[in-house]
Amino acid sequence: MKEKLHHFHVAILIYMIQNGVIIMSLPRLVAQNFGYNGWIALIGLSLVATLNIFLISLVHRFGGGRSIFKLFEDVLPQFLLYPLYAFLTCIWALTGCLVAKNYVYIFQILSYNTTNAIYLMLLIAVLVFLFVIKGIYNLSKATTAFFWLSQWMILLLLFYFKDFEWARMTPFLFAGETHILEGGLSVFSAFLGYELYLLLIPYVDNYKKTMKAVMIGNLLTTFAYVAISIICFGFYSFEQLKHMAYPVLDLLSYIQLPFIERIESLLFGFLVFTTIITTGLYMWSAKETMHRILPKAGEKLLAFLIIGAALAVSWIPDTLSKVQQWLQFLSYSEIAVAFVLPLLLLAILLVRKGARP
Amino acid sequence: MGKIKPLAAAALIALLAGCGDQRVLESLAFVNATSYDLVQDKEDGAKENLLICIDVPKSDPEGKMKREVLSTVARSKKDAHLQLAKQTELMLVSGQLRSSLFGLSIARSGIWNYVRALVRDPSISQNVKVAVVNGNAGELLAKRYPEHPMTGQYIDRLLEKEADKMSVPRVTVYDFTRDFYDDGIDAVAPILKQGKKNIEVNGIALFDQDRYITRIEPDQMPIFALLRQNVKNGELSIDIKKSGEEAEQIMINSIVSRRKVKVRRGENGNFIVNIHFRVMGTLREYLGDLDMSDDRHRRELEKRVTASLLKDADAMVAMLRKHNVDSLGIGKRVRNSMSYKEWSKTDWNAVYPKLDIKVTGEMIIKDFGKVY
Repeated sequence: MKEKLHHFHVAILIYMIQNGVIIMSLPRLVAQNFGYNGWIALIGLSLVATLNIFLISLVHRFGGGRSIFKLFEDVLPQFLLYPLYAFLTCIWALTGCLVAKNYVYIFQILSYNTTNAIYLMLLIAVLVFLFVIKGIYNLSKATTAFFWLSQWMILLLLFYFKDFEWARMTPFLFAGETHILEGGLSVFSAFLGYELYLLLIPYVDNYKKTMKAVMIGNLLTTFAYVAISIICFGFYSFEQLKHMAYPVLDLLSYIQLPFIERIESLLFGFLVFTTIITTGLYMWSAKETMHRILPKAGEKLLAFLIIGAALAVSWIPDTLSKVQQWLQFLSYSEIAVAFVLPLLLLAILLVRKGARP
Repeated sequence: MGKIKPLAAAALIALLAGCGDQRVLESLAFVNATSYDLVQDKEDGAKENLLICIDVPKSDPEGKMKREVLSTVARSKKDAHLQLAKQTELMLVSGQLRSSLFGLSIARSGIWNYVRALVRDPSISQNVKVAVVNGNAGELLAKRYPEHPMTGQYIDRLLEKEADKMSVPRVTVYDFTRDFYDDGIDAVAPILKQGKKNIEVNGIALFDQDRYITRIEPDQMPIFALLRQNVKNGELSIDIKKSGEEAEQIMINSIVSRRKVKVRRGENGNFIVNIHFRVMGTLREYLGDLDMSDDRHRRELEKRVTASLLKDADAMVAMLRKHNVDSLGIGKRVRNSMSYKEWSKTDWNAVYPKLDIKVTGEMIIKDFGKVY
């Protein structure tokens, strides 16, 4: 019998996929797009994600735990199936790779400013490759270890209470210049990652427990995002926040310990763990999808090819803002995937149920 | 064996990547303090150029000099940095920058461009202190103080210590930027003055946006602190003069104070602001005729001290309003009592001088030492 993922691991896994470098700029994005006290919007967006998770859990439930690929393959003809799979592979592999590139470029603001980014990217790629070929069960265990290695940093928020002032938050709600729709989409991309639940379905058992675990993962993410954003809104003045490219990076640089200073480059290094998980899981998803097109190819070879190809394509955007534009475009497509894929699958399930009374 | 190969590859890449950007400690010059002044152009008297000085501690154990001061006149900060780099055999890095000093000339014309450059540079800490120099900042930094060979460190520690007491606010790049952008408060910065043998804190500079407007005198700094923030571990020295009598001298320390600002609307829609402070402290010195062990006498003294503090506080609020600088952050509280629509329509600079501001307060002597 195949080992199943424990729901505790699922929760941590989802949390770690969702979390990433976007957290560095999230408070600014929220301030720019939702105005004063924009952090409250995060709760709303989290609810949207929860709704989406519920949708996916319906696929899990009505599909009887069968993998989404099997559900597709039962109904769709091959000439429709392959383009769909190819599209998903591309989106997932590129998203994974650009997340890593974004991390590397932000890291280079701090250190290794003139080193060619390819070395750092290769370093991450090797780790991701080693990670992906281990299979989902070991992957989730490693994720749990990485979780503890990186998430203690939330406790650093205690440092900021001294200079925190409620008066800076103002009583205004979503006032000032706002871009609710466009901004909502770009902030929502911070929640992406839960949609990979679709691919985890064959590796978990009970749909109720799994749904709960994924929702808890999403809740943890929401908690971390909201806590960090509240701190930023009370620690910085509103206009200042809007002018900071990476407010959380500045938060980290504010920490002074008696024996060491300027530890942000050290602390930012810890975020490589969440980045590896995010990249790793997207790459794993791409590999799983690709495997359906080329069932005879070895898993290691596939992983190697996909990571190599994604690395090559991700080479095109060569500045930080271009990388972020690409990521934004990819996240729009990913949001579409997150909603359309479960709806499509539900439609398939309903049609089949209708056809077989 | 299969596992080792990729690991070895990863290790190799990691090690090779490290060769790309080397920083050898011995070949670096860590800038500790920077000063900015405006000086007149020698050819064109109407034009003003930037005078930048940097203080670089020397790590050479055999050298007699503990530091090096470099200075240059340039048209912009960027230009200055290139000029300075030409003067030294070491590579200038700003990761250890601790303080940036602005001469009065440049503070009057606005310092935001320079502070923003400090914010933008990722190698510079947000905890770099910002201070105004009463006079020429370059001279203050370049001068040798025999008893304090490391000038940059001396300035940093002086400002740090003064901020730990309540005399001057702790103003870093982070604080300055935050208050610069906030529409409900104006930024402040400590003022330094060059003495014969040392440097002293000489008041608090009050800014409107990024331009120096006026200052708080050194003897008024504790009152400013009480009005501006909650204070912990402050000191107060007060002279109370009554007509025909000798002045009473009172010294209070270990002060803990709470400040509260309340805003309400008057009948005709105007704002009434009440600043209240509650000060608790230990009586350390008292030259006067009251007996501290007598409760009634002590209350009487508390009343006198409170009256004296309030008198000074009223004068200070009036002064701030005269110069139209909201250094106490009253705007934040008024803003928070309004709707966004109303606040965005309010011209705070026009409203502030006309506000109805009342200062109330109380002083409590917690204990009076070992003398009964």
